[in-house]
Amino acid sequence: MDSRLVGQPRPRAEDQRLVRGQGRYTDDMNLPGQAYGAFVRATHAHAVIRGIDIEAASQAPGVIAVLRGQDYLDDGLRGMDHIPNPADAVAFKERAFPDSLTGSVFNQRHLPLVVDRVRHVGEPIVLVVARSAREARDACEMVLIDYDPLPAVVDAVQAMDEGAPQLWDGAARNLCFQARVGDEAAVREAFARAHRVVRREFRNSRIVNCQMEPRSALGSFDAGSGEYLLISGSQGVTRQQMCIADALGIPPAKLRVVSPDVGGGFGPRSCVNPDQLAVLWAARRVGQPVKWTSDRNEAFLSDYQGRDQVIRAAIAFDEEGRILGIDNEIIGNVGAHTVSYVPLANGSRIMTTVYHVPAATALLSAVLTNTPPTGPYRGAGRPEATHVMERMLDVAADEMGMDRIELRRRNLIQPSQMPYRSPMGLTYDSGGFAANMERALLVSQWSEAPARKREAQSRGKLLGTGLANYVESPVGAPRERIEITIGADGRVDFVVGTQSTGQGHETSFVQVLADELGVPFEAVTMRTGDSLFVKVGGGSHSDRSMRLVGHLLLQAGEQLRAAALTAAASMWGIDAQGLRYAGGRVRDEAGQREAGLGEIAAHIERAGMPGHPEEHRFFAAAEFNGRIAAHPTGTAVCELEIDPETGDVEIVRYTSIDDVGRPINPLIVEGQVHGGLAQGIGQAFLEDYHVDPESGQIFSGSYMDYGVARAGAIPRRFDVELTEDRTHGNALGVKGGGESGITPATAAIFNALADALRDITHEELPMPATPAAIWSALQRAQEARS
Amino acid sequence: MIRVELRVNGEAVSREVDDRTLLVELLRYELGLTGTHVGCDTSQCGACTVKLDGAAVKSCAVLAAQASGGEVLTVEGLSTPQQLGEVPAAFVACHGLQCGFCTPGMMMAIDYYLDTDGSLDDERIHQALEGNICRCTGYVNIIEAVKHAAHARIEAGKPVGRQHG
Repeated sequence: MDSRLVGQPRPRAEDQRLVRGQGRYTDDMNLPGQAYGAFVRATHAHAVIRGIDIEAASQAPGVIAVLRGQDYLDDGLRGMDHIPNPADAVAFKERAFPDSLTGSVFNQRHLPLVVDRVRHVGEPIVLVVARSAREARDACEMVLIDYDPLPAVVDAVQAMDEGAPQLWDGAARNLCFQARVGDEAAVREAFARAHRVVRREFRNSRIVNCQMEPRSALGSFDAGSGEYLLISGSQGVTRQQMCIADALGIPPAKLRVVSPDVGGGFGPRSCVNPDQLAVLWAARRVGQPVKWTSDRNEAFLSDYQGRDQVIRAAIAFDEEGRILGIDNEIIGNVGAHTVSYVPLANGSRIMTTVYHVPAATALLSAVLTNTPPTGPYRGAGRPEATHVMERMLDVAADEMGMDRIELRRRNLIQPSQMPYRSPMGLTYDSGGFAANMERALLVSQWSEAPARKREAQSRGKLLGTGLANYVESPVGAPRERIEITIGADGRVDFVVGTQSTGQGHETSFVQVLADELGVPFEAVTMRTGDSLFVKVGGGSHSDRSMRLVGHLLLQAGEQLRAAALTAAASMWGIDAQGLRYAGGRVRDEAGQREAGLGEIAAHIERAGMPGHPEEHRFFAAAEFNGRIAAHPTGTAVCELEIDPETGDVEIVRYTSIDDVGRPINPLIVEGQVHGGLAQGIGQAFLEDYHVDPESGQIFSGSYMDYGVARAGAIPRRFDVELTEDRTHGNALGVKGGGESGITPATAAIFNALADALRDITHEELPMPATPAAIWSALQRAQEARS
Repeated sequence: MIRVELRVNGEAVSREVDDRTLLVELLRYELGLTGTHVGCDTSQCGACTVKLDGAAVKSCAVLAAQASGGEVLTVEGLSTPQQLGEVPAAFVACHGLQCGFCTPGMMMAIDYYLDTDGSLDDERIHQALEGNICRCTGYVNIIEAVKHAAHARIEAGKPVGRQHG
C-alpha cells in the first residue's frame, strides 16, 4: 500500500453536497401519496390507562386513522426485542451478563404504542394519521386519555428500595439484573491489608442526546409484494432491519431500510425507536406511506438518553500509594424500557483504566425507572469509569498528602508490562500511558501552574488544573462486510455496512482504498445506508468503523491486486510471474505491456474472474465476524478559573494528547476530539436534565431549559496532539478516535475544579457544576468556617 | 389561505398558503429548498437561519406571510453549481462541519456577520454564533472558518462589515 492519501488532512468529499444544502436527511425525503403521522404522548410518568377516547379525533378534518396499541396487538404483532444485553467484550459469542444475582436477566419487548400503562412522560400512546402534518397534530389535541396515576420513581437508587413503585412484573425491586464481576475474594483480601482505603460516591448526570436532526421516519408498505420500506436516519440499517422485521413477524428481506444523511448519532441512534416501527405498521394499516418527524420537544421526551449512573468507589492503597485493589458499585438508570445494558458492560470492563490494579471487582445494578430509556451515549460507560478513576486518584493524593502526578506515576502500567491483561479481562497490546501523561504535562506547562495560580489570585480568580489519563475499550457489533466492484470504466465502487453520522466515511475510507489500489481518490465511490445492497454490517458505534472497515479494505484490496495480475496474464496469454502491480496498473517487467484496472475489468466481464469463471465482475468481498480489540488512549489537562463572586468558570487552556493509532485523516480525527470535548464540557457545566423526583415530570423539554454548549463555552486555547502508537490488532494499525475527546473530559474538568477549590472545600461538586452549584458550595464552606 | 409573493435566491415566487405557514415550511415543503433545516421549535438552535432582506432571521419564527414582498437568501443561494461561496468554501477547508445538519443555518448567520461586522475577534464571533447550536464540531473549526471566509472575501474584493442589515 502506498501512502499518498492515508495520513493526509484532506478536506471531506461529502462536504461538497452538505455545504450546498444538498444533504438528504430523512425529513427531506417524500414518497408519492404519503400521509403524515403525529403521536399523542403520555403526560404522566406512571399511570394506568383506563380509556382512550378517539371519537372526536377520528372525525377531525383530514384524519385518516387513529391508531392505538391494542390495534397493534390485534394485528397479531409483538414488541421489539432490543437485545439489551451486549456481546461480551472478551468472549464475543457470549452475553456480557450471562446471569444475575436476581435469578435472571430481565428483558421486556417494547411496543410501538402503550396499551394499558405508561411508564415515562412522553411515551407514545396514539398515532394519528392525517393528510397533512398539521391536521395530524391538531387531531392529537382531541384524543382524550383517561389516566389513573400511579406513584413514580425516577432515581435509580430509590427505585431499588423495597416499597418503591414497581415498573414491570418480572423485575423485582426494578432490577433488570444485578451482577458481581471481577475477583471479589482477592479484593477483600487486598482491602484487609491496605494502608488506606479511599471512598467516594459519584453521580454521573443524565444526558439528552441532542443530535441536531430531530428523528424522523417514513414508512410504506406494498400490498402486492408484501414488502415494507423504512426511510429513517440511524447509525446502521442492518440492526434496524433485524429488530423491526422480528416485531412485524416478517423475514428481514421483506423490509428494506434506508438511512440517508444522518444529522448526528452519538450512540442512541444505534437502537431502534418505537416510532420507527409505528409508521411502518401504520402504512400497512392505511394503505399509503406515513411520515413522521419529531419536534424538539418530543425529542427531549422520547429520544434515548445517556449516562445516568451512580458509582460508589473504593480504592485500597499500600504505604507507598500503590493501588492494591478497587471495589466499585455501579448503578445504572435504564429508564422505563430495557433498551441497553452496554454502558454497564463497558464501564465495568474498563474501570481500572491505565493503572496496574492487582485486584478489582464491581457490583452492577441495572435499574428501571419512570424516565425515558437510556442507551449508549458517546463513550458509553468509559467516560463514567474514567471520571471515577481519575477523581479518586486526586482525592486519594489529597488524603495521603501526596502529589497527584507522582501518585499516578507510581501506578501507571509501564511499557514493559505490555501486553497487559487487566483484572477485568481486557488485554492492552500497546499504549504509552506514562509517555502520554509526561507529554501532556509538558504541553500544558503543568509545572508553571503555581505561578499562574498566584497571578489569577491577584485578579480575584481561583485557578485550578486537572489531569486525566484514559484508555478506551472499543468493541461494537462483531460482524462487518465490504464488497468492492471495479467497472470497465475503471471506477471503484464499494459497499460497506457502517453508517456515517458525520464522521466522514466517504473521505477516510476512500483514502484507504484508493491508496491500497493505487488509484486516484476521485476514482472511488462508497455506498452505504440501504439494506437493498448492504446485506451485512454492524453500523457505526464504539469506534468500530475504521478499525473494522480499514482492516477489510486491505484484505479485499490485496485480493483485487492479485486478481488483476492473474487476469492481465490471461488477457495477454502470458505467465503472471513477470507482472507487477503499481499505481493502479499492471505492467510486465520488460515494460512492453500495461493495463489499467478498467481494461482488466472489461476482460474479466468477458472472461470471468480468475478462479471464479462464473463471476463476470471484477469483484472482491471481505467479511469479518469476531473481535478486533484496540485501545485508544491519551491524557487531557484542563486549566480553568473560577470567579468566586459568581461561581462562573472559564476554561483558559485545554490540552489533549491522543493516541488513536494510525490517523487516516488527521483533520477528521482532530474534529472528533473537538466534538467530544464540547460534549464533555456540556456535561460538566451545562447539561442538566431535570426530572421532578415526585411526579416524574420532565422540566427540561427544550433548548431553552437544557443547556447545550454554544460557541462561547469552548476554550480559546485548545491544544490537540496526536501521538501514534499503532496497534498490532488490525492490518491498518488503527485504534479509533470518535470517543477520544469525551472520555477524559469531565474527569479533567472536575479535577481542575477541585484543585481550584482545594483550599476552600473538599465537597464533591454535582454534575453539571453550574455557577449556582459552585457558588453554593463556596457559601457552604464559608458558613462552616464562620 | 393567503397569497405570498417574494424573491428567493433571486427568483420570483408566488404561492397560496395556509395562514399559519412558517417561512421555513414554505421554503422546505412548498419550494423544495430542503437545505434549510428545522432543529427545534423554540427558535433556539438556528438551523433554520436564512437572510431576509439582508438580515439573518430564524425562518421558523417568521410567518411566510410576513416575508411576503421580501428578498430571501438560503444556503442554496450561497454557491453556484460551479463554485462554492466564500463561507461554504471556508467550512470545507476548515472542517467546520461533521453531520452537516446545523451547517446551513450556521453559514447564513456567518454570512450576515461578515456583512455587518466581520471582526476576527473571538469574542465577537462567539456572540455572532450565540443563536446557533452545533452538537458535532465543538465550534473550534467553525470559528476558524469564519476567519477564513473573512479573508477570502477581502481577497475577492468584496466588502466586509460595511453593510448593515
